Formats: sequence, C-alpha cells, structure tokens
Amino acid sequence: MDPKDELKTRIKQIIVKQLKLEIDPASIRDDAPLFGDAANGLGLDSIDALELVLGVEKEFGIKVQDEEVGVKAFASVDALHDFIRQKNAA
Amino acid sequence: MPETTPIRRRVALVTGASRGIGRAVAERLASDGFHAVLTYRADVQGAEAAVLSILAAGGSAEAARCDAASKEDILALAERLEKERDGVDVLVNNAAVLKNGLFALMPDANWEIVLRTALDGTFHTTKAVLRPMLRRRWGRIVNVSSLAAFSGSAGQTNYAAAKGALVAFTKSLAAEVGQYGVTVNAVAPGFIETDMISFLSKEAREDFLRRISAGRFGTPADIAPFVSFLCTEGASYLTGQTIRIDGGFVG
Repeated sequence: MDPKDELKTRIKQIIVKQLKLEIDPASIRDDAPLFGDAANGLGLDSIDALELVLGVEKEFGIKVQDEEVGVKAFASVDALHDFIRQKNAA
Repeated sequence: MPETTPIRRRVALVTGASRGIGRAVAERLASDGFHAVLTYRADVQGAEAAVLSILAAGGSAEAARCDAASKEDILALAERLEKERDGVDVLVNNAAVLKNGLFALMPDANWEIVLRTALDGTFHTTKAVLRPMLRRRWGRIVNVSSLAAFSGSAGQTNYAAAKGALVAFTKSLAAEVGQYGVTVNAVAPGFIETDMISFLSKEAREDFLRRISAGRFGTPADIAPFVSFLCTEGASYLTGQTIRIDGGFVG
C-alpha cells in the first residue's frame, strides 16, 4: 500500500478508536470535514477534538499546540495527514 | 541480565513549596509515595532543606527553581518533567505572594503581581501538565485558595480576587476533565501560622482568635492531610469542591 494511504488508514483508525465511533474507519472520506458539519462530515465537537488531540499525540509522539487545534490541522483526514507528516519531518 | 521496566513513581508537583503550606503538603505527598517536585522562586535554602528532610525520611523529591509568575519558567519545568518523569500526576497550585494595602491606594504593580502569581501561575502550570493526565486517565489537581475568597479581608482585594477566582476555576475545570479521571478541588485555609499572616497586628490577631472556633491559629500540618486525601484513589468521586479548613472561623 502507498505509505500515504497507510498513514491515512491509521488516522481513521485512531479517530474511530479514540472517539468510540460505531462506524467503519474506511467509511470516513479523506476530505470530509471532521468538525461541525454533521451533514457532510463527522460533526465532531470540542470534546471529540480534545480526545483526538490526545490520541494523535500519543500515537505519533508529537506535541499539538493549542492554536493548531480546531483550525487547519484537524479539519479533515487529509489535513491531519499533512500535519503529522510535517511534524514528523521537523 | 534482562532489562526490567521499573514501576513508575507518580509525580506530585507542588508550587511555592520552600516553606509554609506548600512545604508541608510536599512533605506529606512524598511520605504518601509520590516523587515530590518542590518549586521555589527565591528561597533555595528552604526548598533544599525540605527536600533533604524528605530524603532523610526515605522519600523521593527534588527542588526546582520556578517563578509562578513566569510562563517561561513553568513551561521549561513542565517540559523537563515530561521528559524525565513522564509527566505530572498530582499538581498542587500553592504559590502566591502578598502585596497588602488599601485598594484606594494600591499601585497597579501590586495588583498585577498578586494576580500573575496566584491566578496566571495556576493557569499556566495547570495547562502545562494537564494533557498527560488526560492521556493517562488519572490526575489530581488541588488549588490552594484562601478564607479571603469568602470573607471580606480589608487590605487584600488583590489576594482575595485571585483566591476567589481559583474557586470558580476549580469548579469549571472539574466539569471539563471529570470524565478523564482527573479531579480538581481546592482547599481554603483560614489563618495559618506562616509568613502569610505575619503582617497581622497584635490587636487583629486577638480579634481573629476570638472568632476561630478551634481557639487557635492553624498550622501547615492542619492543611496537608486534606490535600493528601484529595490525591488518593478514594477521593475519585469528589471534584469541583473547595474545602474550607479554617478551624471554624465565624465571620
């Protein structure tokens, strides 16, 4: 598998596991908005955001700054993918 | 020989622990089995003496210079503790300074330093150590408020404002982190024999003494057992509370 896809698959698994969602990780679209927009995306709230931050920090051993949360970095699986890649490269 | 993973000793960070209530709390938490981290701003001798007494009693402790009014100091300490000790499990926000004086004559600086130390210090320190607690699904935060938060204290508008804010902060943060196994409580000591009440005149002391049901001023040893209890497993269902420990002050 393309390593890019592998990371995305992992991210989706973390989302489902961390937020105890009862959905198939594969059903999350790469570009779907994670927060707010329940009609087109997952409709997560700020409690979910905190859980997701904790999960991403633990899983990837990175530190998420406050101002990075809820904005671009956590907008979608695609965004999270780029964010983690960039953090790991730094 | 195969490498064994040592059991991690839980870490208790106590701010302003070179003397008074902070020191007594740190010593008690160390005797409870925590690795105590005692912060101080200027009184290195006091902090080192407290650490030595903990070590002599068979406990684990270290002193760390950290000005509660300095965000940089706090972040640096938190980062080091995360690296060396895998974070903090218990946080006691105790550091405070007094700049007493009539409000009508209060210089801005006296308002700011008191709020910056007791309130902003609590904000920055809590913020800096909270996430590992949330990740671990276990944590204890105890904020040291004051009787001044509840009963008017002439000459202490700045101190009372900061200590009152801690009561409100305690309740709201407790509501946010309860589901993560982290409790947030406060203790509100009354008149405790420390530098914090050395400013009282003889007349004021006598007047206050008449209003303390216990018939005496408190000591740091009257406060430490309550903080200790709040940090136990048994206290996991108590959160958002402020416990007044004032010898039954009437006023």
